[in-house]
Amino acid sequence: MLRFEKRENVSTKLKMFIPLLSIMIGLLIGAIAILFAKINPLMAYKAILVGAFGSKYTFTETLVFATPLILISVGLILVFKMNFWNIGAYGQYILGAILSSYFALFLPTNIPKLLLLTIMTLAGLLGGALWALIPAVLKAYWDVNEVISTLLLNYVALYILQYFMYGPWRDPRSHGFPLSKMFADNAQLPKIIANSRVHLGLIFGIVAAFIVWFLIKKTKLGYETRIIGGSKEAAHYAGINVPKDIIIAMMISGALAGLAGMAQISGVIHLLQIQINPDYGYTAIIAAWLSYLEPFTAIIVSILLGALAAGGYQIQITMQVPFGIISVIESVILFTLIGSEILLRYTIHLEKRRKT
Amino acid sequence: MENIVLEARNITKYFPGILANDHINFDLYSKEVHTLLGENGAGKTTLVNIFDGLYYPNEGEVYVNGKIANINSPLDAMKFGIGMIHQHFMLVDTLTVVENVVLGFQKQGFRLDNNSIVKKIQEISEQYNLKVNPYAKIWQLSVGEQQRVEIIKMLYRGANILILDEPTAVLTPQEIDSLFLIINKIKSDGKSVIFISHKLEEVLKVSDRITVLKKGKVVGTVNKEHATEKELALMMVGREVLFRFDRKPTADGKDILKIENLEGYNDRGVKRLKGVNLTVKSGEIFGIAGVAGNGQEELAESITGLRKSSKGKIFIGSCESTNLLPSRILKKGVNYIPADRIRTGLIPNLSSVDNAILRCYMRKPISNTFTVNFTKAKDYANKIITEFNIMVPRLDAPVKLLSGGNMQKLLLAREILEEPILLIAVHPTRGLDIGATELVRKKLIEARDKGAAVLLISEDLDEIIMLSDRIGVIYDGKIVGLVDSKNAQINNIGLMMGGSKNLNVQKG
Amino acid sequence: MLGPTLQTILINLLYTAVRSGTIILFPTIGEIFAERSGVMNLGIEGMMIIGAFFGFVVTYTTKNPYLGFVAGMLAGGVASLIHAFIVITLQGRQVVSGLALTIFGLGITNFYGQRFINAQLNVSLSRFAIPLLSKIPIIGIIFFKQDIFVYFSYIVAIFMWYVLYKTKVGIQLRATGENAAAADAMGVNVYATRYFWTFFGGLLAGAGGAYLTIVYAPFWLDGITAGRGWIAVALVIFAMWDPINAIFGAYLFGSIDALQFLLQARGTTIPSSLLSMQPYLLTFIVIVIASLIVRLKHIGVPRELGLPFSREEK
Repeated sequence: MLRFEKRENVSTKLKMFIPLLSIMIGLLIGAIAILFAKINPLMAYKAILVGAFGSKYTFTETLVFATPLILISVGLILVFKMNFWNIGAYGQYILGAILSSYFALFLPTNIPKLLLLTIMTLAGLLGGALWALIPAVLKAYWDVNEVISTLLLNYVALYILQYFMYGPWRDPRSHGFPLSKMFADNAQLPKIIANSRVHLGLIFGIVAAFIVWFLIKKTKLGYETRIIGGSKEAAHYAGINVPKDIIIAMMISGALAGLAGMAQISGVIHLLQIQINPDYGYTAIIAAWLSYLEPFTAIIVSILLGALAAGGYQIQITMQVPFGIISVIESVILFTLIGSEILLRYTIHLEKRRKT
Repeated sequence: MENIVLEARNITKYFPGILANDHINFDLYSKEVHTLLGENGAGKTTLVNIFDGLYYPNEGEVYVNGKIANINSPLDAMKFGIGMIHQHFMLVDTLTVVENVVLGFQKQGFRLDNNSIVKKIQEISEQYNLKVNPYAKIWQLSVGEQQRVEIIKMLYRGANILILDEPTAVLTPQEIDSLFLIINKIKSDGKSVIFISHKLEEVLKVSDRITVLKKGKVVGTVNKEHATEKELALMMVGREVLFRFDRKPTADGKDILKIENLEGYNDRGVKRLKGVNLTVKSGEIFGIAGVAGNGQEELAESITGLRKSSKGKIFIGSCESTNLLPSRILKKGVNYIPADRIRTGLIPNLSSVDNAILRCYMRKPISNTFTVNFTKAKDYANKIITEFNIMVPRLDAPVKLLSGGNMQKLLLAREILEEPILLIAVHPTRGLDIGATELVRKKLIEARDKGAAVLLISEDLDEIIMLSDRIGVIYDGKIVGLVDSKNAQINNIGLMMGGSKNLNVQKG
Repeated sequence: MLGPTLQTILINLLYTAVRSGTIILFPTIGEIFAERSGVMNLGIEGMMIIGAFFGFVVTYTTKNPYLGFVAGMLAGGVASLIHAFIVITLQGRQVVSGLALTIFGLGITNFYGQRFINAQLNVSLSRFAIPLLSKIPIIGIIFFKQDIFVYFSYIVAIFMWYVLYKTKVGIQLRATGENAAAADAMGVNVYATRYFWTFFGGLLAGAGGAYLTIVYAPFWLDGITAGRGWIAVALVIFAMWDPINAIFGAYLFGSIDALQFLLQARGTTIPSSLLSMQPYLLTFIVIVIASLIVRLKHIGVPRELGLPFSREEK
């Protein structure tokens, strides 16, 4: 019989140990799954490692994968702190990409680069924020379950993207493929590391982490999100305008996801297409949890998960290991992480009970 | 002597940081009412929870009918004929009486045969005079009726040993009398009762023997014939219970809170306020007496803006404040000690600092337009903690690690230091030990003496009478009587709490 | 009067609607019972696709759709036990664990499903008419000339309604989700109850997935459940936690799904992406309305949904 007793103090060591344990168990279960597919897991992991950190170039690829994760996860941290489950970063990312693409595709091409990129950045932020506004308002005023509303809106967003790609925005010269025309150079985010795909979005991410950190630690909004997350009743009692905070925090969170979508198409893909990797919206949830909702930790965690993704694409190409294995590893990490949070709250005793 | 049906030998139980039961010995005869008497935190509930299998002792054994009994769960307890009625009723609100009675009952078949269950419930009802409608849902019943359902539930299962944990706390004096009749009936039927209370008068009325607990230890067991109130009080607290507060004479202040025909609903959409009228003046404590669930909490929440009222008016100072936002009402100088201190008043997972500034974080000097100055916040928290002598492990430790008394002191300090013109305190001493209770009461009087209007809502009638200048009795969503505390008669108040009309009282 | 062709089209449409609705009906009922016990499992999508995968693979290899269906159910049930362990025993956060389960299900079926992509099942499941009932005009064809799994879903819905409201098990279940401490004090094993109903939810999620790949769309595609699990989660609110209401919700969804499918097949000027969006968009709207009703009527939601239970909390 297991018996739980409340813990008074949590050591930093334990807090460090749990994410590490989670990653170990995630990799272990992943290895077993790979073994079942008759592939040598050690080879696969080696390939992932090489694919992520093997050379300067592969490391820059890891950073490319990490960029949207950083942007989205720091935004999620803000709303997760108030126990608002934004599962809709996927859709907010898509809408940010669509709205910023509009300006890339339809503004005259001779606009100064700085101006166009500023417009696109704002459009990305706005697209995500507005898409996030819908579930936020519904939650704030009508108490509509945000997990369900944000998720259903993800699918709606996906089909909006498909509509544009199969319809009005399809490049007539794409031979029927659902692609827009290529963005002109003045719509492409500049690279920040030579001979790589690392773009300005990474800087956006670091700035966003700093802003979110500041919001959480230093501002009234941050204090209020803590209160709301701690107890809705207490928040009302304290006179906090809970609907307003939900809407503001959710719009910031959505804006950052939208910016991630903008950065991805403007910095990496350079056109709009159906496959623009909105799945980052789900992976970022894992990044946010793995970092204990600390924005700067989220940068490091995002790079780790970015490495896993970069390596995952490598083994998909070189070893024909389907990318799904990365999701398996990530989900097991997440399971272990939330399962072992109990260690932070309780000490566990094994206790034998006598039989009558 | 009769035979022993239940015996505890050397029971020890600790929780982190607390020794709740320290080598306790206790026995219960058949056909006996044996009372556990002690202050809050003396270990009474822990001990009976062990009998009921909710807790498992770290040391010691329980014997039932002379045989060692290994009770791992309430289900085991039931097999030994032990049935417990908790202080917070273990009833499922949305289920009917019938459904609650058969919940978890092992001998119940897969399909529910409503007719036969109802028949058996009615038999028990008649035998012990426990009237209740078997088809009603629990949330539709009064607290007294709910308690009867709890008793029926245990008798239905054939309980031989009935444990009643503070059953009188939620009843009117008249309901208490009828509960005692039921207890006597159960006893004369050959069953035994463990009765828990900290009220001396009723303990002497109902018990055969009394065991006094203090800080987890047995102080002694006495027969009722040899016990006096004074003696028991001394055993219970180790000193004489003497609450006497110096206070200024009642000032004739101006009206601070005025409520006219207030109506409102609870969360389930049931009308709970049906036309409340009252006035509270500065420099007085206005006590609201009443049985739980007659609209007290809805009233407090309506005044503070946490609940919308459907009709009527509330004035604070001279301005109307009906249905204003809570933040606006707070700004008017209304502070509030809510009943649910752990969820509403405090945020258990956050630090003392975060909790200390809950009501002033939006203002200078703690914050500017946009940012919070946490250095100043820390100073403020430190000030509160020293001034009220609150024991805190670290300033940044979550407040859930504080004891109940220290939590309440933190909450009270935060609200009183705001120097409100109107202070609303709901069950401010519930669950606190003697020391903390005394401090809380003293501070309420102090606030009054400084000129605040205090609205005190409590189920503890003694507390109401002790602290209030005027008392209003609430019943079924209305103030049914106003009494000056100087000539308050507990019997009359009790009758009004139970809904009796036509009493000779002043009208407000 | 409707012309005979239009009538045939409509009947066919509703016949397909029932089949499409069945995919959702199973998991919706399952989730209703898990949530009634206090466990919210947002992993339906993951359990469904695991059920769909196992259902497909077993049917593909054994040529026996019934065996496949059972395999799909069991696979969904086993997957649900991961969630049960995390949230019941370890008291982990239910929202996050459910999401992890969905990511897991999508990942693992992608990983092992590559070599089945575009594989077809060649088993045809015979429909059979229920005597008498199938003779009712229109209704008979729509509801009572279906395959055995559809009939199974009717039985599950009705029988589970009976269990919920008329049996000892139902009381224990409802009490556990409303007030676990009270249920515990009355001798109900809260942990066992929650484990059981979470497992039950997994079985039915697996059943929905298996029905999809064995009967409704008898081939394998990556991510073939396409968000139907989330629709099931949403329909739980629409159904106000009642299995009979779930039937209406599921068939409403099925009708929209069948209609957009029919329109796409017949070729309209409406872009297919906008048609495919409809089930999600309409579910979204329906949920907003249902949430309003739940709020106004103060009913429905199991009070302790999502809260872990531990006895010795002090």
